[in-house]
Amino acid sequence: MKSRWIIGAGVCFEEVFGTWTRAFPQENVQRIELLPANDYTFDLGALDALDPGEGTMFVAFDERFGNFKRMDPMQAAMEHGFTLESFISPLAVLPPDLVRMELIQAAMERGFELESFISPSAIVPPDVIIGPNVFVGEGAVLGIGCRIDFNTVIRDGAKLGAGVHLHPSCWLETGVLVGDDADIGAHSILRIGAVVGSRVKIGNHCELGWARLYDKDVSAGTVFDTRYEEPIYVYGE
Amino acid sequence: MRSRMHPKYYLSQEIFEREQRKIFRKVWLFAGLKTLLPKNNSFLTRKISGIPVVIQNFNGEIRAFENVCLHRNSLIQSAPIGCRPLVCPYHAWAYGEHGEVKNIPDCRSVYLVSKAEQQKMKLREFALQAIGNVLFINLSENPFPIEEQFRPHVIEMLESSSNLYDSEVMLTTFHCKFNWKLAYENLRDANHPRFVHRSSLAKDVTFLPFVNTERAAEGLRPLSDTSPAALREEMKRFSMAAAEAPLSNPRRLPFHDMVERWGNEDSYYNWLSYPNMHIACPNGGYSFSLEHHIPISPSRTDLEIYWFTTRKKKPYAFSSWNLLSHMHGSRLVTGEDIDIMEKVQMALHEEAPMPTQGAYEFQNRLVERWYTLMMETDHEI
Repeated sequence: MKSRWIIGAGVCFEEVFGTWTRAFPQENVQRIELLPANDYTFDLGALDALDPGEGTMFVAFDERFGNFKRMDPMQAAMEHGFTLESFISPLAVLPPDLVRMELIQAAMERGFELESFISPSAIVPPDVIIGPNVFVGEGAVLGIGCRIDFNTVIRDGAKLGAGVHLHPSCWLETGVLVGDDADIGAHSILRIGAVVGSRVKIGNHCELGWARLYDKDVSAGTVFDTRYEEPIYVYGE
Repeated sequence: MRSRMHPKYYLSQEIFEREQRKIFRKVWLFAGLKTLLPKNNSFLTRKISGIPVVIQNFNGEIRAFENVCLHRNSLIQSAPIGCRPLVCPYHAWAYGEHGEVKNIPDCRSVYLVSKAEQQKMKLREFALQAIGNVLFINLSENPFPIEEQFRPHVIEMLESSSNLYDSEVMLTTFHCKFNWKLAYENLRDANHPRFVHRSSLAKDVTFLPFVNTERAAEGLRPLSDTSPAALREEMKRFSMAAAEAPLSNPRRLPFHDMVERWGNEDSYYNWLSYPNMHIACPNGGYSFSLEHHIPISPSRTDLEIYWFTTRKKKPYAFSSWNLLSHMHGSRLVTGEDIDIMEKVQMALHEEAPMPTQGAYEFQNRLVERWYTLMMETDHEI
């Protein structure tokens, strides 16, 4: 029997492994935990020991892996040696989706086939296009004509209307609702309670962290974070 | 020693209006970043001292106008930042680069406004000056030269550093419940971090309040010359630019390779521009935060926080994440400062005791000597 290797670390890693083994208990699902070193590099020796002809791979890091955001920010800042008066400026760590992509690249270079996971309890019409290394969790609902690009995570119970396009490396949490024909930009994060209206366009690198209806287009890089009173905007290039 | 800062200076609407009239409508104020206005018709809008202002790029010339249409008083540009011609959305009155009314649709048939009348109409223009990529505006009809507000080395350091600002900028706003002056008194207070930031900033950085006895004594004496020129000269002392402290443990970070470096010193840099702008560079010339405190009322201040790096060598995929990391990292310390200043504001009332001032607060003492003179007399700058 061919193996399915789940590689990564963190909550997403555990979630993917658990969901996969529950859904397909008869399969040979193996977990390979990869933690980055202090310099954010990976020891890929575990991958080198595997034979690509013997199985498929799924790269699983949660959206925050490598990001100090849910850590004590001061601790992160200290670790990165910043010292200043009214501001602490931490290291710009590699964002998690880039971490995932780094591992995806490493896997592909070694000839591994990247597989997607669609929970048997998810509703996915046959015309939905799903790219590699996509996770569709339990009870998720995808409308007809959706397109889900590679390296996207749709967690349990998220619901997408018809014709929704999720660009690469998106992260949709449980309870997210996306209206018909909405377009979600690459690397965007939609947190619990986010509701995106029909035909709304969310730019790349956005974070919709306030539980509310987003019924107007959101420009690239905009972050709605519950710790802030106003959105964080990015201007220019 | 008693401070001169009676609680009324943080509470009174009348004093707030006096500040606006005598300081904010006279001095050069931070208006925005030139890097956000890269092409023809790029614009930014803001309210400065209560006046809606649009700053717009007209084929490379950047100008500032009152952002109020001469027809029905609508905002002409409404987005905070954008790119569109200077045309009012209400009835499509179009304005040119000198604020002139370029076009009124159906002007002669609907408005019955003659060409001569149309030519007389012009948006109010404000003086605008760039120091490197930092734009300053002066709302006065007769603005004094910006060199009379900032000392040469302040201008030089701001120009040199800001010329290397990157065009990608992250921005958010906090709505704070304190008087704007508390923020700058706090910034000049090197004795607060070990208490306010004891579990954060002070774990890693030792701030040493020091006493300049000469300055402290000077601050007790009245100003000898109260002419406008002397008061402007005195105001120059309140703005500074310096490498404040060496970085105790400078580290090479991934984004450093992606951007050019300003300078070559492993120092924490600080720019304080009186009355209401503060720039910090925490890492020896790789990224900058800009704090802009906008007075809204005696007890309300909007704090805009910008983050940007130095200029990218070439675009890189995680640049906005990099800025977000900076923003989140600063959030904790900013929150601690906001919290303590809001507590001070909450405690203030008309009969609150006059603050007791330490000698280490000599810089604040110099500022308040000037400020109280401005508020209590007819002297002008």
